[in-house]
Amino acid sequence: MGRGYTAEECVEKYLTSLSAAAGSCVTGLLIGQSSAQKDFVVLAVKTPHRESEGSPGGRRVSSPLDDIDEEWVAEHARQVSRMLPGGVSVLGLFLITPPDLSKEAQNTLKKLIFAVDKYICKSRLWDLSEDDVTDRVTLHICSKTRKAVCKTFDVKDPKCSAKPADWRYQSGISFSWPVLNCSVRVDLQIPVTDSSSEKCIKDGLRRWAKQIEAGLCLINGRQTSDDSELLSGSRKNVKTSQQLTFRAQILVSEEDPGAGQRCSAVVQACSRSVSVRGTVHCRAYIHSNKPRTRHAAQAIKRDVVDTVSNRVEMLLEDLLLNEGGNDSEQQDLPRRVFAPLSGSGLTVCDYMFPDETPADVAERFKELLDWDSAEGDIDTSMEAPACRSAPVLEAEDRCGDEASQPVPPVSPTEPVKKQNSTQYYAGMLSSNVNKAAE
Amino acid sequence: MVQCFVAECEHSYSKSQCSFFRLPSDRKTRRTWEKLSGRPPDSSNENSRICSCHFMGGVKSAGPSLFSWDRERVSYLQASDNGVKEEPEEKDIVRPQGGPGRPTNNLSLLIATLDTPEGDEAVEETTVHFKKEEMESADCLIAKMVHTENNSLIFRLRGVLEFSCQLDSSNETQGQSAISKSFQTLRTRVSSESLVFSVCSSPVLLWPNKSFHSTVENLTEGAPYRDIQQYIEVEDGGSKKSSKKKDKKDTGPSVVNLKLLLEVTESGDSASLSLCTVTKPQHSLKMPVCVDCVFSASGQDTLGSVCSGLVGSLCNQLSDMEEVVLKYRKSTSLLVPQPFHFQLPESAGLVTVIYPAGVPDSQLLAVREELHEKYGLPSDRPCFRRANAFHFPDEAYKDGYLRNPHTHLNTPNVEDAKLYVVKGVYSYHHYMQDRVDDNGWGCAYRSLQTICSWFQQQGYTDRAVPTHTEIQQALVDVGDKEPPFVGSRQWIGSIEVQAVLNQLLGVTSKILFVSRGSELASKGRELANHFDTMGTPIMIGGGVLAHTILGVAWSEISGQIRFLILDPHYTGGEDLQTITEKGWCGWKGPEFWDQNAYYNLCLPQIPKTI
Repeated sequence: MGRGYTAEECVEKYLTSLSAAAGSCVTGLLIGQSSAQKDFVVLAVKTPHRESEGSPGGRRVSSPLDDIDEEWVAEHARQVSRMLPGGVSVLGLFLITPPDLSKEAQNTLKKLIFAVDKYICKSRLWDLSEDDVTDRVTLHICSKTRKAVCKTFDVKDPKCSAKPADWRYQSGISFSWPVLNCSVRVDLQIPVTDSSSEKCIKDGLRRWAKQIEAGLCLINGRQTSDDSELLSGSRKNVKTSQQLTFRAQILVSEEDPGAGQRCSAVVQACSRSVSVRGTVHCRAYIHSNKPRTRHAAQAIKRDVVDTVSNRVEMLLEDLLLNEGGNDSEQQDLPRRVFAPLSGSGLTVCDYMFPDETPADVAERFKELLDWDSAEGDIDTSMEAPACRSAPVLEAEDRCGDEASQPVPPVSPTEPVKKQNSTQYYAGMLSSNVNKAAE
Repeated sequence: MVQCFVAECEHSYSKSQCSFFRLPSDRKTRRTWEKLSGRPPDSSNENSRICSCHFMGGVKSAGPSLFSWDRERVSYLQASDNGVKEEPEEKDIVRPQGGPGRPTNNLSLLIATLDTPEGDEAVEETTVHFKKEEMESADCLIAKMVHTENNSLIFRLRGVLEFSCQLDSSNETQGQSAISKSFQTLRTRVSSESLVFSVCSSPVLLWPNKSFHSTVENLTEGAPYRDIQQYIEVEDGGSKKSSKKKDKKDTGPSVVNLKLLLEVTESGDSASLSLCTVTKPQHSLKMPVCVDCVFSASGQDTLGSVCSGLVGSLCNQLSDMEEVVLKYRKSTSLLVPQPFHFQLPESAGLVTVIYPAGVPDSQLLAVREELHEKYGLPSDRPCFRRANAFHFPDEAYKDGYLRNPHTHLNTPNVEDAKLYVVKGVYSYHHYMQDRVDDNGWGCAYRSLQTICSWFQQQGYTDRAVPTHTEIQQALVDVGDKEPPFVGSRQWIGSIEVQAVLNQLLGVTSKILFVSRGSELASKGRELANHFDTMGTPIMIGGGVLAHTILGVAWSEISGQIRFLILDPHYTGGEDLQTITEKGWCGWKGPEFWDQNAYYNLCLPQIPKTI
């Protein structure tokens, strides 16, 4: 027997509502949570229409399947991944084709699954654990009969063949998923050499991510032991579909296992140093089917790592490209905002630059998640708008040597910044795809 | 001279404490015994004897059953005492009960009985019962010895902090302040609310700077420091045992290990993140700073006072480290500061000193001189070399050798006697260690190794304990032996030991000569004086086997003397119980020595150095 997938009813409604234009295909993402026993699908999102590079009908192609842009699908998956809280991820893909393409569809899905996985893994700072499920789901739907075929591929094994899986719908599966929250303080100092600034920053973040991963996680003040159940003693509450909120704490040791017994400090000559400082709000959801505390701890830790690396990555994509002559420059990383996802008990998130408004966020939800959110639903309260004075003061206190030179205050309306931020939104999809295509 | 008939057994009447039994006259039984003894049929004669060590419980009627090649069961019982035994047959040589220098030792006897599967079941049951009680009282004794030495509980906090510092390449002079600032950052970090102590082997977490928050309700700031012990799980041979059970026997671990953690989560809701770039050429310095603080809690100490004490010494340690780092800095090269704890003579507390990594002891003489002066220590022996660092009782020695097994012995009961024993730490070297089969020829080498281990662990030398080959090579190098000696299985004696100590360690030794073993009983004053002033282990050899003398119990009034002997002839594993109970390390009377053989004693002299 293959894996079992339980999908939220709203996923069924959404998939039914999608109709492919005659002779074309629709691709999209299946989003949810894996567990050892079965997976839960809470959201399906179709790949947005790509506007650039002429009309799809311009080029004559033999089959509509060939028209599917692998990189575009993968980039969409990556962008959507950033919007997901801890514990929720892209589980697989769906593909709606005309009946005559049913056979070829499996091959296309396999190709897409591997492309998406590779793309998402590339920007991820944490490693999969043994517990992690590496089966990815594909759902092929015939546009005429609406018949759905569910299969899985093991992304660990490039030679794998499709395995049949069980797909069924159920209502309200995620309404009672417990949520874990925490705010994490970040204080990283990363030396950067001219030749490979991006790699340096990534390495610095990776070292920090390892610390977080190895850290001790407390849930509601209690230590998480290996196999204890998160909901032990409170299962009755769960049955009444009340969402439980847990407070997570992470304690780290600054040990660097790779350092060994050194006699002297590591010296690195560098042209710049980058410090990432502040506090981030983190959130993770965990399914309510006898979840283990260790999985809850893993989900929240991964969200901590992701939310910081995502933001730095977003900045690297744009802002660091103009390496100014300034001695010292402070840039605000975008703040994380949340919105409750209709039809589920979850929230999704987005990153909002200082000069953006919730309307910009709502627009992105529409584009990437195919979801009409109300502007008022967007919760901007979890992270404060970047406060200028405090971090600058902190930099003076703590930066060490460079603090002896006054850090020029940077105004939030600085032209460079504004330009970049807007560029972020407008060029988000296209600029990255271009980069990936190079 | 009567020697044991059993192959490979070196026990003889004059040297060993055991009794000696005749072989049976019945030819069939005698052949069985001969076969068991590893000898050809009919090789015994009326003068052949088998020592009591090969008999279960030292009882002849059981027949010989304990042999060295049968390692599981061997227990060279040296005792042959008390009423368990049958009446000796005529011509068996049996020592008087509780003979001089052999305190009766029920325990070893009973354990030997237990170790053998055969035997009368009814007897076994009672002995099992006996054994448990005996064992417990023995454990108590050991525990008491440890705890009277130091009645307090040591809290030891360890952890790693990452030191990170940016040095402006164009501005050298700012380096010092940048380094100081980075250390200040570390001090701020450990003074903040995010500091967490994780109590090892327990679920207890403590936030010492967050109004003493703890994950266990009962562990409040005002709780007595010993309360923490009930939450610590004691590893006991793989199976976990709560310390509560153990409490009856032992007062628990005498060291509470804490690990330093930092909480990265905050309770505040408001958050933001920024990225700051400083563009100018610079050197980035990073090193792990391993902090290691101790606090000896005693009397009225509470958990709160223990924790604030530890936070205080943590900050002080970081300041000391800053000083050391700055002192040894060469431009952008920083040496990692390493803390060492020292227990000073005649003081219960520990002194922590920071040394720069990679700088050998020989280059730190000035620092040690300062320390000796500061603590009013004599300047004739090392106290602050790295090798002198305090060894925490809960840490195993990684090399596998036993340390100071004699500390687990009861002191002999001799009227008016004072104890004069080896000072400091040695390791027990004996036959068959290091995958070298030197059974029968290496005893003096092993005794020499024990002496070398003393000099190494007292900090006199960095040189590792020499191997047999290195010892032989040293003797060839000084011209004492011809080159073919290297790799041979030839014995060495006290004079050779003296030569090797001089050659390899630069240690001179006095030689004490006695023409007859019986004279050793009158050497109490010389030996007592040696242990008083030098405190080094003595190698004794000569006409017969070599041993190590670790001390004497000597009465100036009566002249009565007992010798604390470490026997290098032991071939078994590093099992403290066997070694102390079977007399491989033990107190011996003057009759231990071959009364008619000559002996040379090598008394190593300590160099005056710090």
